[in-house]
Amino acid sequence: MGKLSPSFRSILSTSVIHKPTLSPAAPPLSSKKPTPKPSRKTPSGQSSGHPVKPKLPTVFKSASLADAKKLYSSFISTSKAPFNLRVHNSLLQSYASIATLNDSISFLRHMSKVQPSFSPDQSTFHILLSTSENRPDSSLASVRKILNFMVTNGFNPDKVTADLAVRSLCSVGLVDEAVELVKELSLKHTPLDIYTYNHLVKQLCKSRALSTVYNFIVEMRSSCGAKPDLVTYTILIDNVCNSNNLREAMRLVSLLYKEGFKPDCFVYNTIMKGYCMVGRGAEAIGVYKKMKEVGLEPDLVTFNTLIFGLSKSGRVKEAIDFLDSMAEMGHFPDTVTYTSLMNGMCREGNALGALSLLKEMEAKGCNPNSFTYNTLLHGLSKSRLLDRGIELYGLMKSSDMKLESASYSTFVRALCRSGRIAEAYEVFDYAVESKSLTDVSAYLSLESTLKSLKNAREQAHAV
Amino acid sequence: MTIRRMKMAMTDNPKKLANLIDLVNLPSTLREFVGQSQISRLGCFKCVWSYIKTNNLQDPTNKNVVVCDEKLKSILLGKPKVELAELPALIKLHFPKNPK
Repeated sequence: MGKLSPSFRSILSTSVIHKPTLSPAAPPLSSKKPTPKPSRKTPSGQSSGHPVKPKLPTVFKSASLADAKKLYSSFISTSKAPFNLRVHNSLLQSYASIATLNDSISFLRHMSKVQPSFSPDQSTFHILLSTSENRPDSSLASVRKILNFMVTNGFNPDKVTADLAVRSLCSVGLVDEAVELVKELSLKHTPLDIYTYNHLVKQLCKSRALSTVYNFIVEMRSSCGAKPDLVTYTILIDNVCNSNNLREAMRLVSLLYKEGFKPDCFVYNTIMKGYCMVGRGAEAIGVYKKMKEVGLEPDLVTFNTLIFGLSKSGRVKEAIDFLDSMAEMGHFPDTVTYTSLMNGMCREGNALGALSLLKEMEAKGCNPNSFTYNTLLHGLSKSRLLDRGIELYGLMKSSDMKLESASYSTFVRALCRSGRIAEAYEVFDYAVESKSLTDVSAYLSLESTLKSLKNAREQAHAV
Repeated sequence: MTIRRMKMAMTDNPKKLANLIDLVNLPSTLREFVGQSQISRLGCFKCVWSYIKTNNLQDPTNKNVVVCDEKLKSILLGKPKVELAELPALIKLHFPKNPK
């Protein structure tokens, strides 16, 4: 059973470094500690890890420059006091998020011409950079243009500028260009910020071969003296663990010690995840013991990972024991914890036990999500508790939950096997309608189920 | 595990996928039914299934059986009754493996 528990899948797709949210007046330094570890995200049934951007009040409805200028004039004429920097920045942000870069720059020029009291500062240019990720045509050239515009206005790019530029390039997939820009900026203007550096490493890990990432690290160390820190190592370990390359992970851990770092909770969690993903429960427990030895406090993610790993390698009993010990340490099991446990129970064929766990978790005020239901549906269909499965499916359907391909296939198979073909067709319709699966894969599993059923019948007749 | 294997077979075998989603020139009987001159096997299946649903052709006592009307009979080998389970296989008959 190499299947990944649905509840865990969200962990893998969660983006590790959160984008800094920008307020127009003061773009904050991206001084958040990146969290490279299994997600802390509240499982809300969404598998996408993209942070939802706050919707700005849209002042400008049209991207046309003339309209924007007209609207701006009408704002000025109605207000008594001249606008301050903050208002101008918000106006620019609102316009730049829908307009092209050239129009936004012209609009900025126009504003500073009409109101001489408004002098753009660093943050104004940062708005141009940060909104450029909304434009599909944003490129290295457009980022360069903003930077040049900024320099001609007497502002030197600082580390926030570099960070924003890199992020906006990465968000449209131009990682190589971002690397190029960083090298250039670090030579001319500002040393490379560690957060920018880690963001780049993360992006490179996502889309490039491991050797490219290592080359980048070596190159940055020699060209501008940027050294990987503990977070960088965590990102790297996370990356190799995700591709099940545990040997490389161990090499990185020893390298990390050599560089004088001490692994923290995030590193341990990541290593543990690596073991869990290949189903090595004993080693995962080993990591947990090691953590306790060095005096690190395990957190909720540690326990969730551990319970996931133990459930996966068929050690549900031990997993349940950890449920108690985590409560002792003041961590409350969440939806991910329960779903992992249910997954383990379903693997053992104890779907009824999983079902009673659902009751227990609901009683404790923990809301199941679509992964929980999918796990249960899969388990129930597998242990031939079809009636319960149909009940659960009705519940999922009424709250518009998506079906996962594994639970869809097993459910359809169970339905067909007990001669409820019409219902299976109905599930097929729902899966396609709710866009859970593509019609191709939904149809293929329906067709092959019916085919194998027919074959089995014919064989039975022949005997 | 069978599901997994099936998926593997699916992704490993682009020919099979092409069989399912490529547009095929239709024989005249089928052309009349779907109202198009070309359709894929998947499209055809969806078309027939939605025809069954909109015209309420499922046997009310046994939903697994379709009671064919004249139009449906013309494309499903003239059978008066068809099991839902054999629908994909029957439709496949219109889409021979090597049309050329």
